[in-house]
This record gives sequence, structure tokens and C-alpha cells, in this order.
Amino acid sequence: MPATDYQASFLGRISIRRNQVIAMDGNHEQELQDLELFSKHVSERFAELLSSPDDVPFDALLSISWLRKLLDFFLCCEAEFKGILMMGNDPSQISKPPLDRLIPEFLDRSVKALDVCNAVTNGLESVRHYQKLAEIVVSALEQKPIGDGQSRRAKKALTSLMSAMNVDDKECSAAKATERSWSFSRRGVSSKDRVPEHFRSVSNQVAKNWSAAKQIQAMTNNLVPPRGAEGSGLASPVYTMSVIMVFVMWALVAAIPCQERNGLSAIHFPAPKQLNWAQSIIGLHEKIGEEWKKKEKKGTAGLLDEMQKMEKLGNILMDFTDSFQFHGDITDQKAEEAAAHAAELAETCRRMEEGLLPLQMQIREVFHRIVKTRTELLNALDQVGKSSPPLL
Amino acid sequence: MELPENLNKDSNGYESAEKIILRWDSTASEDARERMIFETDRQEADLYLQAVDEIQRSLSNVSISTSSNAGKNANAVDDQSKVNTTIQIAMARLEDEFRNILITHSSALETDSLFDPSSSSISTPSHHELEEDDTLSNDDSSHHDLLQLQLQLQHCESSDSSTYRSTSSIREVDLMPSEAICDLQAIAMRMISSGYLRECIQVYGSVRKSAIDSSFRKLGIEKLSIGDVQRLEWEALESKIRRWIRAAKVCVRILFASEKKLCEQIFECVGTDIDDACFMETVKGPAIQLFNFAEAISISRRSPEKLFKILDLHDALMDLLPDIEAVFDSKSSDSIRVQAAEILSRLAEAARGILSEFESAVLREPSRVPVPGGTIHPLTRYVMNYISLISDYKQTLIELIISKPSTGSRYSGDQTTPDMEFAELEGKTPLALHLIWIIVVLQFNLDGKSKHYRDASLAHLFIMNNVHYIVQKVKGSPELREMIGDDYLRKLTGKFRQAATSYQRATWVSVLYCLRDEGLHVSGSFSSGVSKSALRERFKTFNAMFEEVHRTQATWLIPDTQLREELRISISEKVIPAYRSFLGRFRSHIESGRHPENYIKYSVEDLETAVLDFFEGYPVSQHLRKRSQ
Repeated sequence: MPATDYQASFLGRISIRRNQVIAMDGNHEQELQDLELFSKHVSERFAELLSSPDDVPFDALLSISWLRKLLDFFLCCEAEFKGILMMGNDPSQISKPPLDRLIPEFLDRSVKALDVCNAVTNGLESVRHYQKLAEIVVSALEQKPIGDGQSRRAKKALTSLMSAMNVDDKECSAAKATERSWSFSRRGVSSKDRVPEHFRSVSNQVAKNWSAAKQIQAMTNNLVPPRGAEGSGLASPVYTMSVIMVFVMWALVAAIPCQERNGLSAIHFPAPKQLNWAQSIIGLHEKIGEEWKKKEKKGTAGLLDEMQKMEKLGNILMDFTDSFQFHGDITDQKAEEAAAHAAELAETCRRMEEGLLPLQMQIREVFHRIVKTRTELLNALDQVGKSSPPLL
Repeated sequence: MELPENLNKDSNGYESAEKIILRWDSTASEDARERMIFETDRQEADLYLQAVDEIQRSLSNVSISTSSNAGKNANAVDDQSKVNTTIQIAMARLEDEFRNILITHSSALETDSLFDPSSSSISTPSHHELEEDDTLSNDDSSHHDLLQLQLQLQHCESSDSSTYRSTSSIREVDLMPSEAICDLQAIAMRMISSGYLRECIQVYGSVRKSAIDSSFRKLGIEKLSIGDVQRLEWEALESKIRRWIRAAKVCVRILFASEKKLCEQIFECVGTDIDDACFMETVKGPAIQLFNFAEAISISRRSPEKLFKILDLHDALMDLLPDIEAVFDSKSSDSIRVQAAEILSRLAEAARGILSEFESAVLREPSRVPVPGGTIHPLTRYVMNYISLISDYKQTLIELIISKPSTGSRYSGDQTTPDMEFAELEGKTPLALHLIWIIVVLQFNLDGKSKHYRDASLAHLFIMNNVHYIVQKVKGSPELREMIGDDYLRKLTGKFRQAATSYQRATWVSVLYCLRDEGLHVSGSFSSGVSKSALRERFKTFNAMFEEVHRTQATWLIPDTQLREELRISISEKVIPAYRSFLGRFRSHIESGRHPENYIKYSVEDLETAVLDFFEGYPVSQHLRKRSQ
């Protein structure tokens, strides 16, 4: 068996295949081995994600670096998956049952995943925006001793930050909030023409009726584990890859503010516990699902770990600036505490500064990979002659 | 120490400045909330700015004094705190003023004024020549669909840039009156020097983003998901693509370029990093949104009818690329440049893939219903129209198509694919080779279709008609002809002539056989050696055959007038003299017998007239017109 080159084009593989006389047994064994390896790797990778040690704060569940790891694993799984697809004995297999049904469904899921990638990228712009606001807070509170001026400045920025996080979370396309609050309350001045148009913190690039939750729900359509004889052969890895894809998208949407996420926790993964590779994924799904429910109760913003921290610290610092404003004097102890929290916030900002751009780039990489596989699969289907639109 | 005294010396200036600042503290007074300084009058604004400057000066003085003051001078610290508070109040106020000025002057770009009104037609696409003699019967639904398809093969505006004078190159417009810009500049300077850069960028970004959003709406830029784009009918997408191309030109060359200029103007005094940051803050999201549509198109499923719009999109983006690079030239805008380049490359791939797909589809096209009358098959029309359009896009495609057509290795058996000798096609561009290959493949397919005719003559006629059509189309387009080359054209011509010959042989050999001399003469008999019965048989057979041919082949069709004429003349040249000579030699024998009219039914003129009925495509009455009776 020639060493598979994951980058080689599918097309090239087909033409070679057709001319070779293949010894059935040898290949079949190899294929089974590869399938097992694939499952094993999936299992290992997701176990690693599940068991991220809590004492290493960087890798906390749904932190930026955890997400990057997740995407990394996705790319690895995807590469293996493609290798397996290409090694199929008979390239026309993709047009025969059950693949003749499963592959188009997979392709449909891929398209949906692409839209999720774009929505998440858009959402990351929001996160970047919070980072910028938080940096104002940090900058204000950095100065020692903290004076009234800095406190007011911090409070202003905090107000914007907290309301931005909440508004974006409510994802109401109609109601928007001013990005930076006016320095005075303008609620009563609606009669004035100068009341600004309400504008979102980040221009929303997603279509009005698009719903992240619905999209992912739709991705789980027809996602059933292959039964019986179908389980051997390519139906199995297609199912595995589909579950991985859906999970990754789901996790991204849970972490990062995207339009319309109601009902996210209701999405179930049809991954039976018997499949050992699925156990970690199910575990992660449960864990994240729980966090999501908690969040829905509290009304906090997305689950991104750094954002959670930002929100927590924001509230604390808001209290601090409030007490500053109303009580004037603050004890040294309080000042020190505030400074410590501000430093934590600075650290969170730093992590965002370091990690958001690479994360965006990784999502783009995922996007490209999904497109590539989809294109190659479509070409293969066209080659076999079934799915191309007729000329006449 | 003296320094506090210094402070006191300036304290008058400081105090009055502080008073001004506090007067305008909007958290403190109703009046301050009601009015905006920069809307009130110039003097107020100038006074305020001076006050801010004064406070800033004090701040640096105070910090010098406190830092150099070893002892804990509570006063100094308090002073510093007070100054800080005042600064914060001033900054908050300036932020509001900044925002207000921006909002007042931020509206959607007046796009109407940008287009040259004389040529701003919703461009009627110039139809590439559709077939004049579209005499397709509509009973076969596939033919009907083909007609639809043909109508879609419209060559749309080839050069957008000439229509809209202002979008062919970067053209910055003034988004704001210069007075506003001055004010903004002044405010920005103070905010930044007080360390309030971040706030400044935030406000700027959010207001300008909103303006861009409304410009986008005006330009008709939609927010479609990739899923939406995959689901829409291609026809609907075509008009969206057209609109996008127009809008993208305006966006990159006017809208974004102008925003960039505005940033540069407002943040002129404070360095390029800042105006880059502001520019990207404003424009990054919208730019991504703009390109997302083109990206969605570039990954859509490939099918032949998409080729030309995809090429249009490719060309438009190619044309825009230098301007994209000029406008997005900073490090932070890498991702946008990269995305544009990626989309371009995907579009090129898509074009290549579609061409390949098209070739396969032509080869595989499976319709078996023979075209009535042996006329031009819809596939032929479609393919020839298609490659004529391809030759119109020659400039782009020559760059894109870089590999030769795959002519054999892709298919299993040899029977299912024709051959193409590349040796004799030396020196041709890959594109030209593809076009020739397409014609080769078309003929191969047509050959297969011709076998469905039960009548061999009709099969030959069919081939003749179709290959002739191919030749005419090639000759009719200079670009196409130049690419196909006269050598191959000669080959094609030879082919249809040969089909004509084959037709004649198939039909007329047996008819003319009736008029042969052999077998009529009986040696050694008394009546001048001609067997009357054989002769009568001959005449009868000839008449029947001719009638049959006449009846049948009148319904056959040769659409091309000239070809029709030529073939009829060719037939006449063979049949008429033969008949005339036969008549001449043997009529007397028939006329000397009984019922000669049963045998000599037609005069030469009758036959000549009858030949005129051939290949008209109409059934004629059973009986040939007889002139002589």
C-alpha cells in the first residue's frame, strides 16, 4: 500500500485506483486497521480535552487556549478522516448505499459548519471589543493612587463593557444599546434630535434570521450511528467525523457570542455510549451543557472562560468604583484588592490579546479545510456521474 | 518648596480653566446636558479647548512637583487627584462632543452622485447571438429546458469600469466638511495626549461603522449565509453577483478609501499607527462581510451554466486587487488581503473545474431521442454557443486554463472516449486545445446519437447538418476561428462533406441502380434486345423508390439554406441526367406497350420540381406533382 499523502488530490487517487488490480483481503485489513486507529485517536484527543487539569488555568474548559486545542484536534481528525476516505477500495463506493445518502448529508452539514465558522469569527470581533473596553478599565485603574478621575473613567468603561456583554448576549436584533454610554443619562431626552441612533458594538455580519442554535440543531438531523452491516466500511468514519464536526461547532457557539443561541443546551448528540471514542465527547457535552444552563439562569455572556473572568472582575470593579464614587475615601486594603483585581483583568486582556487573533486564524483554517474536503467529495461524486446536473 | 507656589502663580489660569471644564460637566448640570459646545459657537469651542490645554499643562506641572517631592505632601497629592478628576470630566465631555460631531456628519455615502447618470442603465446584458432559426419543437421537454439554458447564456456587461466613470480607480471623497474635521482633529489630539486614545478609537469606530452599514444597505449589499447562497437558484444569484461587482468597486475604491483618508486627516498629528487602528476598527467587519458573498459563490457547486458569471466575478476581483492592496496596506489588515487573494484563487479553480465538468457532461450527455428530421441537435447548439462565449472570455481564460484537456486517462475503456492527437496541435494554447477537445467530444457524442436513427441516410444527414453547423459557428467568430485553427476547420469541413457523400450513397445508389443499363438487354431476341418486362419493373421500382424517398426526405431538414441547395443540386446532378438518359433510351419501348402512364409517371421536370421539396422539413402530399399528363 502506498503511503497515503493527505494532501494528494482525491482525483488523482481515483484514476490510479481504477487501473490497479487490488488484492481484496490485504486492503480490507488495512482499512479496518485504519478505522480502528482513527477511533482510537479521536478517543485519545477528546479525553485529553475533557481532563484538562484545573490547576493549569490556561487550559481551563472553554478558554481561548482550550478552544485552540479543540480546533487543532479537529484538524487532525479531519486529516485522518480524509485519508480513510481516500483509501476506500472502490472509489465509486461513495455513490452506493449507504454512502449515497450519508455523503450528501455530510456535505450539507459541512456547509452549515462553514456558516457557523463565519458567525463565530464575527462573534470574536465582539470579544475583541470587550477586550478593548476592559483595557480602558485597566489603564484607568493602573494609576496609583487611584483617584476620583480614574475611578470615574473606569466606571464609564465598565458600564459600557457590562452592557455590551449583556446586549450582545441577548442577541436581539431589534434592540440595541449605545456602544459607549453617554457620560450622562439621556433616557429622558427622546424629544431631542440629537439622541443618537442606536448602534451595535460590532457591526453584525450575520443575516437577520440566522440562528446559531437552529443551525446546529439542523446539523444533527439524520445524525444516527450506522447500524449493523453499515457499521463496517466508510459509514462509520463518516458518522464519527460528523459527530466531531457538530460538537466542535456547538462548543464554539457556546463559548463565543453568536446570534441567537437559545436552545443550545437542548441539542442532543446521538452518540451512544458504547462507542468508546464518543465517551469523552459526551462527557464534554454534559459539562459544557451544565455551564450553559447556569449561564442562562444568571444571564451572563458567553461561556468563553476569559469572558467569564472578565464579567466577574467587571462586576467586582464596578462595585469598587461605585463605592469610590459614593463614599469618597477608600481604605488601603480595598485599594489593594482593587488593584489586584485590575491586575487580573489586565492578565485576562493580555491572554485575549495573545490568543484571539490566532484563534481567528485557526477558525479560518478549519473553514478552508472543510471547503477543501467538500470540493473534493463533490468532484468525486461528479466523476461517478450521478450527481452532476444534466446539461440538457 | 517653591513649586507649590508656582502652582499658585498659575492658579488663576488654572482656576478659570477648571471653572470652564466644570461648567460643562454633563453629569452635574442640566444646561450642560442640553447643549453641545461645538454646536454652539466657535468661541465657546475654542475656549473649552484652551481650558483643556491649561489643565493638561497643570497636570504635567503637578506630576513633576509631586514626583520630585520627597516628602508626602498631602496637598500635592490632592492637587493631582483634583486635576485628574478635572481631566476625566473634560475627557468625558470631549468624548461626547467627538461623538456628536461624528454623528452629525455621518450618513450613508451619496452613491447616486458617484455614478455617471448618462450610462447608469441597469445594464441590459448584451445577448450573445442566439440562434435565429430556433425551430425547436417544444414537445420534448429537454429541448425546452435547453432553450431556457440558452437564454441564460447571456454575455453580460463586459467592461463595468467604462460604465461608471468613478469606480475604475481609487477616488476618495470628502466624507465630512473640513471644519468638522478640524474640530475632530483638535479633540482627538487632546484626548490622545491625555491618554484617552482608547476611548477615542472606540467612539470613532462605532459611529463610522454605523455609517458604513447604511452605505452598505444603500448599495444593496446583503447578508447572505453560505447556506442561502447554495440554496438559491443560479439565475437569482447572477443578478446578485452583478450587483455585488458594482457595489464592491464602490466600496473599495470610494467608500473604504475615503474612510482611510478621513482617519488620516483626523489623526494626522498623532502618527500612522493610530489612524490605521481607527481605520481597521471601522472597516474590518464590513470588509469581511463584503467578501463573504464572493467567497460563498466561489465555493458553490460547479455546473456549466455558472462559468461565465464566475469569470465575471473573477475578473472584477482581479481588477480590484491592486486597489484592495493599496487601501488595506497595514499589517493589521493582512487577513483581508489574504481573504481576497484566496477568493480569487478559488474562483479560478472553480472556473477550471467547471470547464472540466462541462467537457465530461458533453461527452456523457445521454439523450437518445433522435431529433426529428435529422436537424441540428440542441446539444450542438448549446455547446457551440457555450464555446463562442468562452472565446469571448478568451483573455481571462487563457491565463486560467493552463493544463491540457485530459483525454484518456480518466476513463476506463477506450470505447467511451474519443482520441485526440496532440502532435498535430503543436503550439496551441491549452485553452485552444480544450476548445478543440470539446468539439471532438461533441462529435463523438453526436456519432453515438446518429446510430439511433433507423434510417442510415438520415444518420448521415444528421451528422452532416451538425458538423456543418459547428463549422459555421467557428467561422462566424474570429476569436474562435483563430483558436481552433484552420487545420482543424478543414478536418471538420471534410467530415461534413463526407457525411453528405455517405448520405447520397446510402439513399441514391439503390435508386440509381434502377436506371442502369445492365440486365435490360436480352441478347439475340427480335425486339431490339430490351426486355419489356424487366424495363417495366425498373420503371415501377424507380417510381416507388423515388416516391418513397420524396415522401420521407421532404420531411427531413437541412436548416442551412446554402447547404440544402448544394445537396439538392448534387442530387439533381446525379439523378436527373440519369433519368433523362434512361427515359431517352427506353421510353419508346414503354410507350409502345399498354398503359405507359403506369410506368412513365414522371417527366424530367417533375423530378426536378420534386427535388425542390427535399429537406424542407414539411410533409408533402403523397403524389408528386405531375406536369405532364
